[in-house]
Amino acid sequence: MLHRAGVVLAAGHPLRIMSHSLDSIFCPRSVAVIGASAAPEKFGYIILKNILEAGFAGSVYPVNPKATEILGRPCTQSIADLPPGVDLAVIIIPARAVPQAVADCGQRGIKAAIIISGGFAESGEAGAALQREVVEAARRSGVRVVGPNCQGVNNPHHGLCASWPLLTEQGEIAVISQSGTVGAALMDWASQERLGCSAFVSLGNRCDVDETDLIDYLAQDANTRAIAAYLEGVKDLARFREVVSRCGKPIVILKSGRTVEGRRAAESHTRSLAGRDELYTALFRQLRIHRADSLEDLYDAAKALAYLPKPGGRRILTITSSGGSGILATDWAEWSGLQVAALPGPVAEALRGLLPAHCIIANPLDLTGDGTAALYRKVVEATAPHFDYQVIIFGDPILQAADVVTPGAPQLVIFLGGAEVERQERARMHQKKVPVFPTPERGIRALARLFAFDGMAV
Amino acid sequence: MTTPPAGDRTRWLPEPEALRLLADYSLPVIAHRLATTPEEAAQAARDLGCPVVLKVVSPEIPHKSDVGGVRLNVATPEDAAAAFTAIQTQVTSHVSRFTLHGILVAKMAAPGTEVIVGMVRDPQFGPAVMVGLGGIFVELYKDVAFRLPPLTPAEARAMLGELKAAPLLTGYRGQPPRDVDALAACACTVARIAAEHPEIQEIDLNPIIVRERGCMIVDAKILVHE
Repeated sequence: MLHRAGVVLAAGHPLRIMSHSLDSIFCPRSVAVIGASAAPEKFGYIILKNILEAGFAGSVYPVNPKATEILGRPCTQSIADLPPGVDLAVIIIPARAVPQAVADCGQRGIKAAIIISGGFAESGEAGAALQREVVEAARRSGVRVVGPNCQGVNNPHHGLCASWPLLTEQGEIAVISQSGTVGAALMDWASQERLGCSAFVSLGNRCDVDETDLIDYLAQDANTRAIAAYLEGVKDLARFREVVSRCGKPIVILKSGRTVEGRRAAESHTRSLAGRDELYTALFRQLRIHRADSLEDLYDAAKALAYLPKPGGRRILTITSSGGSGILATDWAEWSGLQVAALPGPVAEALRGLLPAHCIIANPLDLTGDGTAALYRKVVEATAPHFDYQVIIFGDPILQAADVVTPGAPQLVIFLGGAEVERQERARMHQKKVPVFPTPERGIRALARLFAFDGMAV
Repeated sequence: MTTPPAGDRTRWLPEPEALRLLADYSLPVIAHRLATTPEEAAQAARDLGCPVVLKVVSPEIPHKSDVGGVRLNVATPEDAAAAFTAIQTQVTSHVSRFTLHGILVAKMAAPGTEVIVGMVRDPQFGPAVMVGLGGIFVELYKDVAFRLPPLTPAEARAMLGELKAAPLLTGYRGQPPRDVDALAACACTVARIAAEHPEIQEIDLNPIIVRERGCMIVDAKILVHE
């Protein structure tokens, strides 16, 4: 369950005056699918199926005037015919019918609607007019709206996959995305790796619920430890600044559209250097929001920020079975401002007694090709007190690798070249909430995120 | 010349007005006088103490040095009078019609590290304050950092810390550390000016010369909306 108390009342936002918190979106008691369909290729079918298969505990009502039953569930003819207690409607009907549907939802006591349908502001002036009607209907009836033109909402901790594809893995990263596909890709990776997500929201045209509402909500959500967002722009800068500055959880944003928009030739140097992207950089830096450069970077940063403990310092020891990977890690560590410190003499001496003669006792510490979980464990235990962070690289199919690492310990785990063993051990580590990174570069860069805002001042 | 957005009426404040506005906020501006004759230029040089710099003041000429409107390191009051006449002649040969408000005579600033502090008002973000290193080369290096006001001294220092050339401020290769607090205070004051003067669209304080103790605004451009 998401935990959140109270009603959000924001002065100056008429849409919110009559509204409820976003609980109805994330944790509804029961759900209606408006425009449920029996045709397997339609979203009205796919979403209904996903809600049912994700294990949603409440009632699910397909609404379709022409069908009697879809996926074994009896259909309700209209929104007005729905039983009481429906908190959330997922709307997948032609755009022109959506404003009325939203009004009907309000009438029936439904508190929130996720509008999947397209054909609104993204499609021209007529669509924009329809979207204004949706906002009007929502405002009058106090319905909170996600979308329109979106890919829905997924809350694995509530068994609610009002979205696609069907993903159910529970985790601690919340994903907010202005692009359905980009957000779904992130959640897909997290699910495939058995790391999971705490929530996924596709913003669509964000006619009502925007990234700021969601950050405000997720800040209080017990399952969310880090928020990852893909945005093309911030909708309401003033409120965003206010909400983010009291969020208290790490946020990483991939903001696209980084070209020269807003920059123009000007007489003042300041104007000619102040492009839109520079101003976003400024906004994010001063709010201590991490900025991702790519989709992979967004994913890696979110993993690190959600699961890696904050280091006490920058001194790292790399423990590896792959010499090349160790050197790559060292390069990235140097570029990322980490310190690859020498092994203290007595520690090196002690290790010489513990390890086979061909191991290279230095930093990186190379166990070479026959590194085993047992050898890793010895090294990890002996060196832990002497470094701020251990970078543990499993560079082969190392059996029982997951037993080497400790959840919550200052350990960065990188696993590569391990094929099926790697995939199994990575899933085991992810289920222990120890994040695993696929390359030295991606692991070290993610670790460096934890230092990003330290010692900023001159 | 700048092409302001259609329908906008903006103008650059004459530099003496810009400097006065900054001085009203207790910002450190270089000592200066406005001269309208060669004799006044000589007297100003005498009062301020040489060397001095002379700069043309005209709303039509924002890029003063491009048209021969600036004389640096003028060593005597007599040279100042001659420089006055020379600037007038030279600018006339470059610019066919312009309003001459006079010629600004300012004290040459003692050397230090040259930085820029600026402000722009963005239609979406509102005011943004910029700091950067490199003085006149700032657009070449693009070593700048922005913040959105309000700005605290700590955040201003964080902003300076983002610059690649920040070591130039903190003492690079035996150079003395510069007065970062004074510079941070300047940036905070610029943020305050932006908040209190919605008509101001852009500010360039470039360069500000930062020394071991204190800093000095040597050149100021302020664009106002009318």
